Parts: sequence; C-alpha cells; structure tokens
Amino acid sequence: MDLTQLLNGIALGSLLMILSSGLAMIYGLRGVTNFAHGALYMAGAYIAYSVAQQVSFWAALIAAPLVLAALGAVLELVFFRRLQHRNHIEVGLVTFGLAMIIERVIVIIWGERTLSVDAPPGLTGTTSVLGSDYPSYRLLVIGIALALAVGLVYWLRKSRVGLHIRAASHDVETSAILGINVDRVSLLVVCIGAALAGLAGTLAAPYVSVHPAMGVAILIQVLIVVVIGGAGSIGGAMLAGMALGILQTVGAIWAPSLSVLIPYAALVVVLLWRPQGLAGKRA
Amino acid sequence: MTIFEGRGLSVRYGAVKALTNVDIALEPGLVHGVIGPNGAGKSTFIDGLSGRARVSSGVVTFNGEDITARSPRWRRRHGIARSFQRTSVFNSMTVRHQLEMVAERNGESDLASLVDTLGLAPVMDRVCSEIAYGTQRSVDLALALIGDPKVVLLDEPCAGLVQDESVRMLQHVRDICREREVAALLVEHDVEGVFRTCDRITVLNLGEVLASGEPAEVRSNPAVVQAYLGSAA
Amino acid sequence: MTDNLTGAPELTITPGGSDSQTRLGTIARHRHWLVGGGIIAVITLLGLAVPYLVSSKFNMGLVLDGVILAFLALSIGFLARHLGLISLGHTAFFGGAAYTVGIGIGRWSMTPTVAFVVAVVVGTLLALIMGVLVVRSTGMTFLMLTLALGQALYQFSTQRIAIPWTGAHDGLQIDLSGGTFLGLTQKSMMNAALFWPVAWVLLMVCALWLWITGRSRFGTVLEGIRENEERMRFSGFNTDLPRLIAFVVSGCVASIGGALFALNAAYVSPELLSFTKAGDALTAAIVGGLGVLAGPIFGAIVYVLAQSRFNTSGNLHLYTGIALVLVLMFLPGGILGSLEKWVRGRLSRRRQATPPSTSEPSSPEDQS
Repeated sequence: MDLTQLLNGIALGSLLMILSSGLAMIYGLRGVTNFAHGALYMAGAYIAYSVAQQVSFWAALIAAPLVLAALGAVLELVFFRRLQHRNHIEVGLVTFGLAMIIERVIVIIWGERTLSVDAPPGLTGTTSVLGSDYPSYRLLVIGIALALAVGLVYWLRKSRVGLHIRAASHDVETSAILGINVDRVSLLVVCIGAALAGLAGTLAAPYVSVHPAMGVAILIQVLIVVVIGGAGSIGGAMLAGMALGILQTVGAIWAPSLSVLIPYAALVVVLLWRPQGLAGKRA
Repeated sequence: MTIFEGRGLSVRYGAVKALTNVDIALEPGLVHGVIGPNGAGKSTFIDGLSGRARVSSGVVTFNGEDITARSPRWRRRHGIARSFQRTSVFNSMTVRHQLEMVAERNGESDLASLVDTLGLAPVMDRVCSEIAYGTQRSVDLALALIGDPKVVLLDEPCAGLVQDESVRMLQHVRDICREREVAALLVEHDVEGVFRTCDRITVLNLGEVLASGEPAEVRSNPAVVQAYLGSAA
Repeated sequence: MTDNLTGAPELTITPGGSDSQTRLGTIARHRHWLVGGGIIAVITLLGLAVPYLVSSKFNMGLVLDGVILAFLALSIGFLARHLGLISLGHTAFFGGAAYTVGIGIGRWSMTPTVAFVVAVVVGTLLALIMGVLVVRSTGMTFLMLTLALGQALYQFSTQRIAIPWTGAHDGLQIDLSGGTFLGLTQKSMMNAALFWPVAWVLLMVCALWLWITGRSRFGTVLEGIRENEERMRFSGFNTDLPRLIAFVVSGCVASIGGALFALNAAYVSPELLSFTKAGDALTAAIVGGLGVLAGPIFGAIVYVLAQSRFNTSGNLHLYTGIALVLVLMFLPGGILGSLEKWVRGRLSRRRQATPPSTSEPSSPEDQS
C-alpha cells in the first residue's frame, strides 16, 4: 500500500467526517435521522459550482455553507420544531421526502448532466508528501477537515453554547428545566449541521464530480458512519467516518469488488455486537 | 416452607453497587413487603429476582433449583410473575384482548373470577389507553396474576394511586395471595400500607438490608426507627 | 408511544358489555372472519374485470406495474402495521427473487413455473437470513440494518465479479420462450391484460394470507410485541420467534412480487434492488396508509399512475417527495387510514347519538 492511497483514504474520510458530525449533532439533539443530509451535501456542491464560476472557489467556500445554514433554519423551524413530539421515525421519513424534493429541485435548476469544478488556482498541481507527489487540492481538503474537527470538538467542550448543546443532547427535558433554551440550541445545531454538509459539498466539488446521484450515494455511507460511531456521538462519528474512508479506499486495492461491501459489513458487525454503536450511550 | 429464595444477591450498574448481599425467602400464601427510601435498591431487587437485571453475585432459587441465569420468559412459564412500577400494559389492545392473550399462554383456569375480584368487568372491552390510570394498574396486576403463578413480584402496584385506590389495591393483593396460595413480594412506597398488608417485611437502605422480620419486630427495630421510619412509626 | 404511522388503535367489533356477552363477542368475531373473507373475495372477482375496463395497452401495463409494486408495499406495510417496524431492505427479497428467475431460466434452463417457485423460495430464504440478523432490533436500528443489508446486495449485484450472474449494471434479459407459466406462453406473460389475472389473484391471496395472519392469535401476539415487548417476555412469550416469522412471511410476499415482475418484464436490473426502489415502495405504503391492509395496495397503484402522469418531465420524485411530506405532516395514517378513521368517527357518533352506552365508574385520577 502506498502513501497516495492512504492519503486518498484520508481525504474521503475527511468528507465523511464533516458530514457525519453534522448528522450526529442533529440526531443527538432532535433524535431525528436526517435523510436529507445527502441532499444538503449535494446542494452545497451545486451552489459551489455556480459561485466558483461567477466569483471564485474561495467565495464558494464561504457562500455555500451560509446558504445551507439558511436551509437548515428552514428545516428546523418548519419541520423539526413542529414535529418534535411525533415519533422520530416519522420525522425521519419526512426528511426522506424532503431529500427527494431537494434533489429534484437541484436537477431542475442545474440540469441532469455531470458538472465539474476546477480546483482553485495554485492548488491544481501536486505537492510532494514524503517523496510521493500528491494533488495539492486534496491536501487542502484534509487540512480543512482536520482543522474543522479539532475546532468543533474544542468548541463543544469549552464554550458555553457547546456546553448547552451537549447538555441538550444528553437530556432534553432536564436541560429545559435548567433554563437552556432547547429550541434555540436546536436551531443553532441544525444550521451548523446543514452548513457543514454544504461545506463538505463545496470541498467535494473539485474532487469528485458534481452529479444528481451524489447525494444518495454519500447519504448511505454517512448514515452507516453515524450508526457505527454511536448515534448522537460526534467524536464517534468523526472517528468512524475517517476509519471507513481509509478502510474503503485501501480495501479497494486488495479486493475491489468486496471493498464496497465494507461499510455494510462493518455496520452489521457493530450493531450486532453493540446495538448502541461504538461510542453511543443510548439505543 | 420456602418456595422462592434469593441468597446474597448483589447487582451492579457499572461501578455503582445498586444492591449488596441481600437475602430473601418467600412462602406460599404470605406477602413479603420490601420498603426503603428512594434509591434504596427496591426496584433493582425485583429486577434481579425477576431476571430483568443481571445479578453480579448471589443465587436465586425456585423450589430449590438454581434459576439465577434463567430468562424472564422461563420464569413466567414456570410460575414466577412480576408487575412493573411504571404501568406496563398493552395500550392499543382492549383489556379483554390482552388478558385473554396472556391467559391462553399461561393456562389460566378462572379468568372471570380474577376479573371480578379486580373490578375489571366493566372495562373489558375498552381499549387500555382509554381507561383510567387506576384501572390500568389493576390490569397490570391482573397480567401478573394470570395463570396461577406460584410467585409474584410486585413493583409498587400502588404507585400513582390515590389513598383509597391504594388501600383497595393492597387488599386485593393480600386476598388473592391467600386464596391462590401465592408467595408474593411487594415492593411499596406506602409504608403504612405495607405494615397493614404484609406478613414479613424487609427494609432496604442504600442497597443493603437494614432489618427483616415480622411487622411488629421491624417496627420496633431501633435502626429502622432511626434511619427510616422516623416519626411515621 | 402513540404510533401515528400505523394509525389509531384498532377498535373491535365486539360490543361493550359484561361477561354474559362473551359468547356474543365470539360470534361477532366469527362473523368478522366471514365478512373480511367475503370482502376480499368480492374485490378479487371485481378486479378480474379490470382488463376489460382499461382500454389502452399502455394503461393496462401501468395498472399491472402498480399491482406488482403493491406486493412490495403490502409486505412492508405488514411489518409496519403489526410490529411497528419500517424496513428499507425488502428490495433484497423482491429483487433477489426477480434475479433468481433470470438466473434460473438463463443459466439453469428452468421452465418459468419452476423458476417462479425457486425464486420465491430463494427470496424467502434471504428473508430468513436477514431476519435472523435484524429481528432483535427495533426502531431506527432496524431501519438502518435492513437498509444496509439491502444495499449490500445491491452493491454486490453491480460488481465485476457478479457480472456472469447478474450482468451488473446491464441487467439480465430473460428468454421466456422455453416454457410456460401457469399455461401462459412468453407472449401472454408479457401481455399485461393476459398476465393480469395471475398477478391480481396472487396479490389477493397474499392480502388474505396477511389479513388472516394479522387477525389470528399469532397476530395478537405480534400486536403485544409491538406495544410492549418487555411485558410480553415477562408474560411468558417468546418475542424473537414471532418477529422472525412475521419478517419471513412478509419477505415471502415481496419475493412473489419480484418473481412476477421478472416473468412479466423478461428483464431484471439492479434498479430492483436499489435504495430508490425501497423508497418508492415505502412512500407508496405510507401515502396509501400503513394502518390499513388495503392502504399499501392502494398507494402502490396510485403511485404508478401518478408516475405515468407526472414523470414526463422526470419530476416524479419531486411530487412523491411532496406527497410523502404532506401525508406525514397532515394526514398521519395515510389516505385510506384517514378515510377509515373518518368513517369510523361518523359511525360511532351516530351510534352514540341513539342509545346511552355503558360507561365505566369514574375514577378521580385520569391517565398521568
């Protein structure tokens, strides 16, 4: 196994990590598995395509997460908040329907064909990493993802808002009694989760191609990552995302046909062994 | 004559010792009360005896046979039933539907008299979620008593009931146990009710036995008076 | 947990009353069997007239597609209705059976009839294997596990090592010229009007089977498990085995649908195993109503008709997405479920208006 493959694995893992941490945060707070997360990621990629064409990739890196955060606010205010006393599975199925809508709206706006986004100037070449040449842009993806992961964990652990988020994820009723405004915390979390999905979509745009099936393809992987990591556990989701990204990429060298089954096999093994996931507390 | 026994029972949740070295022996037709303040380990005790919680040390025997590792289902099929502190009924089913279902499974000979005794006849064809809370508690009790169990473990059957409902409930427990020769364990919050109803009493505190014996004995036990009953005794 | 998804708690036909009415109740229950069976028989007969009523070949093909999708929706609805479990993995049995028909005829030269039987057996065995793995889980875990296992099969079917068997993304053409299925030749099998009676009668047989299963003692046990699994175990019931049996029965119904699909289309592709297919069937079942037996069937037929009407611009999933969201938010219980609730509400209001019904002695405290 050479270093390039390992780095590819880390790059894929980075995307999964960003996406799954957002999904895990929303799950932790609202108890809802957001099936629209793949669609949000896809929306991020398409918005990034347009902004990169009109302005620049760097602008897209800011704009796409902002637009997605706004979309997240809609998701929270119109759906999650209104449906919070409903069965979680029903709300999950609502997001399933939303995913279908969002994906189709994207195709109506941008069309069916596969689009490509260029890496920002200066990052189109390769960089030498321990003797092997590696695309510079992918190093940027890895860098941003790792910085984000560290930042997110630090923020959740150290800041007051982070404390509130963790308290509300742990026990909504108690934290409401403690005076934490769960609705506000939830709005913040869903916005951040959606923004992260948008960021992941933006980062992915120059790396993978932008096409109508990209949302569903990644959604299943991200769902698996979150369940393996322990529903609601952000750290667990990050670790599982990275591990799965590396395992899948590296596995593809050894047994290409079987490596696609790795996430599924991993999920089944983990759930049979620990139904609450690797780091999860609740079922 | 002991039919059901727990010896040296301990239950742990992670590092927390919820129950330490507790003994109990139940006899047919007698009601054995378990009291103690909140967090004394009463529910854990019932969970350990009924196979809901894993016992970390000690044995549970039934007719002399070690059944510590048996499943809840095995216990119920062999005559050890339990009820739940938080009402555990089948909400979407009618009372009749669920009682008949459990009766069929456990071979109840006389469901009608049980229904009469517990006063459930008027609500038999109502959906369980729509009947009054106190009546739901009676359904919960009926579910445990169906099929002539030899042992019933009752976890706060009076939780959430008003005074006279509570008195009636304990009366039922006592009558049915006498009549059907059932050995009963009654975990209850209502101390006076337990003293009125039970033939034996065990007092738990912080997961350990504080005192155990006849009601009069326990009532006069200085440790109990000091630590728990206080002015109530 | 109140379960809006599967509709309101079932109301029994048995009139309220005391012990003396038990026998009356039994009679009412028996009458229920007859009435239910009769309704299904009448609908079956009426359905046979469909090919004479639907004029165009195109529309006939659509209605048949709807009925085949209905097998999948019906099987998913059965699990949701009786166990409160949502499966996204039933495509494995549907698609698995369809592929078995293709492989059985193409590779092993089976006749269509034999291939059909083998396919249903294989699909059911897949359900048994998946069932053993997932049956202890509930809620979101169950949904995720079934999704993952179903997708694993999909992914596998598209891999290079599977090409000799599945043709990967190209799918398999099935040559049906070598034999007949229940007397139908290749040409008749692919003719929707001629294939219709087979598919329709089998669908009704499956519906009857599931209805009887749900109404039987076994169905009561399933309801008990759905409502309160722990209390069932503490009441002396095995809870894993009934769940497994229900899962396998439902998988068998999905398999029948898949095998019929392959015989009619003479073509199978990975699309049958896909997440989208699972989503389509689930959406159809929810929109039709999970709490009513006929709900998923109704939903599947409506779904396919809507598909033909709206899919000209490729926007089908936009509309199904909107329908799913609207139904879940404003019409829990689906179309037929809500209709049933409305009819029952009217009936009971009318009943209440005439004689004073027996009421329970009031208790000072209500549900806490």
